[in-house]
Amino acid sequence: MGVALGAGLAVSIAGIGGGIGMGIAGGKAFEAIARQPEVGGDVRTLLFITLAFIETLTIYGLLIAFMLVGKA
Amino acid sequence: MIFGMWDGALFHIGPIPVDHLVVTEWALILLIGCISYFATKNMQIVPRGLQNAFEAIIIWTYDFFTQLMDEEHVAKKWAPVLTAFFLFILFSNYSGLIPGAANVKGFQPPTSNWNVTMTLALITFFSVHIAGFSEHGGHYFKHFVSPSPAMLPLNLVEELAHPLSLTVRLFGNIFGEEMVIAFLLFMAPFIVPGAIMGLSLLLGAIQAIVFTILSASYIAAAAGEGH
Repeated sequence: MGVALGAGLAVSIAGIGGGIGMGIAGGKAFEAIARQPEVGGDVRTLLFITLAFIETLTIYGLLIAFMLVGKA
Repeated sequence: MIFGMWDGALFHIGPIPVDHLVVTEWALILLIGCISYFATKNMQIVPRGLQNAFEAIIIWTYDFFTQLMDEEHVAKKWAPVLTAFFLFILFSNYSGLIPGAANVKGFQPPTSNWNVTMTLALITFFSVHIAGFSEHGGHYFKHFVSPSPAMLPLNLVEELAHPLSLTVRLFGNIFGEEMVIAFLLFMAPFIVPGAIMGLSLLLGAIQAIVFTILSASYIAAAAGEGH
């Protein structure tokens, strides 16, 4: 029971943080592209790299959740 | 076998045990090799079909790396490795899209096991340092003590965090996706998993691109200016 709750919390709290971060990063990138469409390519590349970094943190939470579930 | 652990050898080559993931990887390498062979068997000046697709991939990656690495000879040197990463990861991510593949031995995508992604990340790790050393010589090691020698431990941790994060990102994404599909197949065997599988078609391509872009940017940082 405790382990299941812990696994759920691990992935959901990590997901909240990652979601907020990705939302801010994506929104700002769209603003930048809308303001200056000619830098679209550069911004897109940087956005992908940034999103990958943010996403890793969420994946760490997911990994811990899998470890907890696999242990129980 | 659930959590990407060692699950026994299929057969042995001398003292080296070979398990089913390695056989799957060989099959994928053979597939990529065959496609590449037939795409370039009789090349024409005006490309058609498969040759066209391959030229598009190569030009796209080559332009991209040249833009990222500033110097063309560095990009020329490392573009083959990075393009091979891209193709291999793309094919092995997509090999899990056969329905129910996550539960059949030998049909799991190799990238859903962290031994495989760790291997790929270690290749990147060594490529980064070889690229830096071959560009800057002994001068390259100066950047480990760059602002001051007190930063040495922090810089070392940063270097070691790169392969770790590459490993965990690829493995976590593909493994998580496989688990979700397996769970949905268990709950609703028809139609419903299709939605997630459509999504994972996108996810597999994005993860292949992200791994390649990050490897390229690490190599560019090591080989570029600023050392």
